[in-house]
Amino acid sequence: MSRPPPPPPPPPPTTNKDQQRQNPSLQEINIKLIQSGEKERLKELLRERLLECGWIDEMKALCRAFTRKKGRNNVTVDDLVHVISPKGRASIPDSVKAKLLQRIRAFLASTAD
Amino acid sequence: MCLRSSSYTSPKPCKHLADYKLRHAFDGYDSLQNCLKTTPIGRTRVDNHNTKIPRCNFCNGYLGRLYICLMCSSISCSTHILLHTQSKSGHDVAIDIERSELYCCLCCDQVYDPDFDKVVVSEQIKGSCPGRSNKRRRLDSGMELDLKKSKWLIAMRDGRAKSCYPLGLRGLNNLGNTCFMNSVLQALLHAPPLRNYFLSDHHNRDECKRRYGEKLCLLCEIGALVSAMFSGDRSPYSPAQFLYSWWQHSSNLASYEEQDAHEFFISVLDGIHEKESKVRNSSKDDGDCQCIAHRAFSGSLRSDVTCTICGFTSTTYDPCVDISLNLDTVNLSAAEKTGLSTLSGCLNLFTRAERLGSDSKLHCQNCQELRDTSKQLSISRLPLVLCLHIKRFEHSLIRKTSRKIDQYLQFPFALDMTPYLSSSIVRSRFGNRIFAFECENSDSSAEYEIFAVIAHSGMLESGHYVTYLHVNNHWYKCDDAWICEVDEGIVRASQCYMLFYVQKLLYYKANKDLSCNASVESR
Repeated sequence: MSRPPPPPPPPPPTTNKDQQRQNPSLQEINIKLIQSGEKERLKELLRERLLECGWIDEMKALCRAFTRKKGRNNVTVDDLVHVISPKGRASIPDSVKAKLLQRIRAFLASTAD
Repeated sequence: MCLRSSSYTSPKPCKHLADYKLRHAFDGYDSLQNCLKTTPIGRTRVDNHNTKIPRCNFCNGYLGRLYICLMCSSISCSTHILLHTQSKSGHDVAIDIERSELYCCLCCDQVYDPDFDKVVVSEQIKGSCPGRSNKRRRLDSGMELDLKKSKWLIAMRDGRAKSCYPLGLRGLNNLGNTCFMNSVLQALLHAPPLRNYFLSDHHNRDECKRRYGEKLCLLCEIGALVSAMFSGDRSPYSPAQFLYSWWQHSSNLASYEEQDAHEFFISVLDGIHEKESKVRNSSKDDGDCQCIAHRAFSGSLRSDVTCTICGFTSTTYDPCVDISLNLDTVNLSAAEKTGLSTLSGCLNLFTRAERLGSDSKLHCQNCQELRDTSKQLSISRLPLVLCLHIKRFEHSLIRKTSRKIDQYLQFPFALDMTPYLSSSIVRSRFGNRIFAFECENSDSSAEYEIFAVIAHSGMLESGHYVTYLHVNNHWYKCDDAWICEVDEGIVRASQCYMLFYVQKLLYYKANKDLSCNASVESR
């Protein structure tokens, strides 16, 4: 029995250079989310979920390990962000992604013109 | 949950921030006050009151971290913030828009300024209580920026090895399923404040009999026990008199069945308190009570209930003689990797903000309506002796069954309770702010040393309690009548049920006394 092909991976996070070339409707969605305040609420939800599943503790542990290695006075916030971002993005549980996607879809449906 | 290091010192400003402060003092901060917006969960962002969303001046980007310059209010993203400071001299300090945190563009790092945090926190507090006066005002009473943190000099430990067991170790005979009692007694009698109290004869038995003539006084019995334990006689002692006396006090628990050690612990403290309040003819509430039980074990818990809609928080304080912790099995998804449940995990769980279900809405004073709330516990005052009770016995009223949770719990020998103090918990709600917490008593230490562990083995109905005592840098297992020295690994591997920690200073002092064989501790 052949299974349906897996859904395409989500688009990679955009750097600032990409923002201009961003798919216009994605930009529209983003702006709509921010202006309505929904993005704030989504971030709240995300924070809650990531706290519950221990992701935040993991990131803290990574930061601590990195800081211990480099020395407390040789580390900046930017360093830490750069170091943990790839691991962080990769280790977000699928359930969290699914939940957020669901919320975004619901929001878009409710504000469809 | 934040796990701050025990030395909470405020970071020094970088050269550029110091320069900025010299030149501009509070100008930038003051103009910021009208532009701060707080969300109900406590995050504060910079809000320019524009209808347009903030975008980087250089690339028009709106994603990622955006910073607003303190000098010219122009917005740059993290990629271009350096460009901004290079193009305009003196524009070195900016604010992270989403988090309201200071950023030094030249150091490329977050910087901290208590004055800035004062402004932000005052706006956060104002923002969360719209019912209060909206007058523009600086941070006032209760938030003095006085961050003196005195350093403690820990007395040097006496590390002389002893060939014989230290004074005070003596087995207790099992009088019929009384290991629950023996284990708690071992821990209690070695708690420095209690041990010292009874050894210094502060409850004089002859005087007690003379004045009150009661045949059975719990305090007298404990005093007799302490004397027996520290008499130097190593043969196992039968605490029959004590047991009988306790039965008189807690008649509902009087039987030869196995009891819960924690329940016994609470009932003994209660008995001591009752007798002492009768003696002193006072009925002070637990917080101020001066009976030895409360002086040793009493602390205070703070409970903050926050309305999830408007952010209004109502705070209550309750005294406590111990803290009962649920095992942090909830976090197993992250811990699964190491398969470890830790004491800090349990304490984090205990102090975590918890959303109360929609079926338990509470009335918000501010909204004047029933609202969903979030509740968070923290410790507002730490006791001298900290008793942590691990809830291993689950009783389900619905299913009318009880079961024991055997999950192994890792616990430290040295414990820093700072992250669980109200000051730390409330601070973390405001983000990485620097301010002194009201009624923060920097004169009492948050560092503890373990001195006793009560471990339970076996099943719910037919288990066994033993106590591990840490005396003079050695661990001793007290299994009813049998005392033997054990390796610390054994203690760490045991299934802890109750953990007893004492404030570090007291601990070292206590050990010093023991090794000098002094039996009287002056008050």
